[in-house]
Amino acid sequence: MNIVVAMKQIPDLQQIRIRNRQPLFDDVPLTLGTIDKNALEAAVVLKEADESIKVTVLSAGNEEVEDTIKEALAAGADEAFLILDDALEGADSAAIAAVLAAAIKQMDGVDLILFGEGSGDNYSGQVGSRVAELLNLPQVGYVSSMEIKGGQAVVTRTLEDCDEVMEIALPGIISVMAGLNEPRIPSVTQILKAGKKPKEVLELDEVDVDIKKLAFTETISNLAPESNRKKIVVKSVDELLQGLRSENLIGR
Amino acid sequence: MDFSLSKEQQLIQRAAQEYAEKFIEPISQQIDEENQVPDEILKGLGELDMFGIPYDDEYGGAGAGYASYVLAMEQIGKASSGVAMIISAHTLGLGAINAFGTEEQKKKYMTKGCKGEHIVSFAFTEPGTGSDPKQITTTAVREGDYFILNGTKRFISNAGFPGPVVVFARETENGKISAFIVEKFCEGYSVSEPWKKGGMHGGPLLDIYLKDVKVPAENMLAPSGMGYQVLQFGISFGKVGVCSTALGGVLAAMEESFKYAREKTHRDAPIAKFQAVQLKLAQIAELYEACKWMTYRLGWLADRVKDPVQFAKDAALTKDYVCQQLVEITSLAVSVHGSYGLMRDYKVERLWRDSIVGLQIEGVSDMQKMIVAGVMLGSK
Ligand SMILES: Cc1cc2nc3c(=O)[nH]c(=O)nc-3n(C[C@H](O)[C@H](O)[C@H](O)COP(=O)(O)OP(=O)(O)OC[C@H]3O[C@@H](n4cnc5c(N)ncnc54)[C@H](O)[C@@H]3O)c2cc1C
Repeated sequence: MNIVVAMKQIPDLQQIRIRNRQPLFDDVPLTLGTIDKNALEAAVVLKEADESIKVTVLSAGNEEVEDTIKEALAAGADEAFLILDDALEGADSAAIAAVLAAAIKQMDGVDLILFGEGSGDNYSGQVGSRVAELLNLPQVGYVSSMEIKGGQAVVTRTLEDCDEVMEIALPGIISVMAGLNEPRIPSVTQILKAGKKPKEVLELDEVDVDIKKLAFTETISNLAPESNRKKIVVKSVDELLQGLRSENLIGR
Repeated sequence: MDFSLSKEQQLIQRAAQEYAEKFIEPISQQIDEENQVPDEILKGLGELDMFGIPYDDEYGGAGAGYASYVLAMEQIGKASSGVAMIISAHTLGLGAINAFGTEEQKKKYMTKGCKGEHIVSFAFTEPGTGSDPKQITTTAVREGDYFILNGTKRFISNAGFPGPVVVFARETENGKISAFIVEKFCEGYSVSEPWKKGGMHGGPLLDIYLKDVKVPAENMLAPSGMGYQVLQFGISFGKVGVCSTALGGVLAAMEESFKYAREKTHRDAPIAKFQAVQLKLAQIAELYEACKWMTYRLGWLADRVKDPVQFAKDAALTKDYVCQQLVEITSLAVSVHGSYGLMRDYKVERLWRDSIVGLQIEGVSDMQKMIVAGVMLGSK
């Protein structure tokens, strides 16, 4: 069984500094999407239970992905399939989905494709669904647990007020949520082996995709909403409780 | 000149950081109070190969070199100097076997050590001597294919964990100091209760009693009479761990100081507004940078030693400098905290108590300076 995990290269969000409400990306190390790491962990857990499973990590992005992807190979992926082109730097979800779908078509016998529910940086949450559409494959999202049974996947989707259990025929696409698992910390040995694992690297013109423009949408800014602090100073717990009650923040 | 880390080094650093933040930091106060590191922590570090980072995979190591070892140890030391001390002292012993062991000795004694299933010790100090190896009184008497060891070793890290210990003893036959690989808890091996030391709690320190311990002659490490060389060269590598552990303390003190200066307020504004506080923070930042690059460089040098004497000098001056700065920096960090910095509720109190230890181990500060001056004046 072949599992493909699609992972996006993002700047390490913990190391970004903010100046004048703009993020500074200089010298920020690159990593892979946080939820993408949950997707990879899910695939590696399946592989550990069934040795016939092969896990391929798939990524499209600039040339630096080739180095960044070592993180996924250290965390248990068997090999990498990369579409690298510096032109992909600002590509939007539609373009990336087209590239990934074309790449998946070029891979042999893919049974299951895993995505993180959203990327670590922009969180558009579109790529998994778009790839499913382009490849005409079934897709489920918001998956919080999954197993493979008799040639199909059985998943639990955690929705706002219910858990839904579904079966999905394979080949199929699953987008997972962050709470699915705790991604492993790779050992030093695994980290050093990562660079030696098989890698297929294609340039954009080597995948069969016809994109008119790499970005019809552009993210202009990505900021937390400004919140106005009330800056009320209280002198006692009683006064604090009173204040919170009057704002209807705690029960009377 | 290239000061950047490779992707692999970044990942090793991040793996150690993640493990330290998730599993060690939350119990670091407990480790300090109980003077004990839980077994699961050591097991977890073993699974990540943290006990064998520098060594060849042939002997069970990860093969990442001392440069990567430094990066990982800084992160572990930042969370708990006691945990880092276990790995540092272990790597001192393992490093001596790696540098001087025969192929058979390395295969036999390094593999489990690199996996963390064995925790290695290095036993030189005795009740009568620390700084002066010529005063060693532990004896090794040759009896056919064996040596019989008798003596007491003081302040030996990791002496209570199973695994090999490199013991220095005087051969009665020729009066020379030799090194031996002894299996801890073999017949005649016993240990004291752990010492209650002032800082670096969790890193266990015990005395070892050797009573007619029978060691096969093939367990002699390096040829007969080479004990002093094993000690000097082995301890030079050991200092890489001591520096990295200290560097972790420096990093922790810096982070705690900046955090506190931003959080603690005076008349509604953080105390970071005071120039006097800023000067302390800047000094800490300057010293961290100096300590960091000296330590990283020492790790880099340890991977490409050409002249052991020069390396001994570099290890001595780096260890002495970084450990001295740790004392200075943690004391500045306490000042930034005021009286709160003396309370157990604040991490800097522990960092400050831990800071004094580094200067006294693997050769006291004065001995490091004597090595530096001795090598540079060409008399050694
Ligand atoms: C946390 C910790 C871990 C340790 N782990 C180990 C271990 O794993 N294995 C091990 O063998 N030991 C270990 N030790 C012991 C440590 O290495 C020794 O205590 C250290 O080498 C100093 O020896 P000493 O205490 O006998 O001091 P001394 O040698 O008595 O020195 C005391 C003072 O006298 C001065 N002095 C001594 N000789 C000279 C000289 N020739 N010239 C000038 N000044 C001199 C020194 O400057 C020093 O200030 C550990 C100690 C600690 C605290």
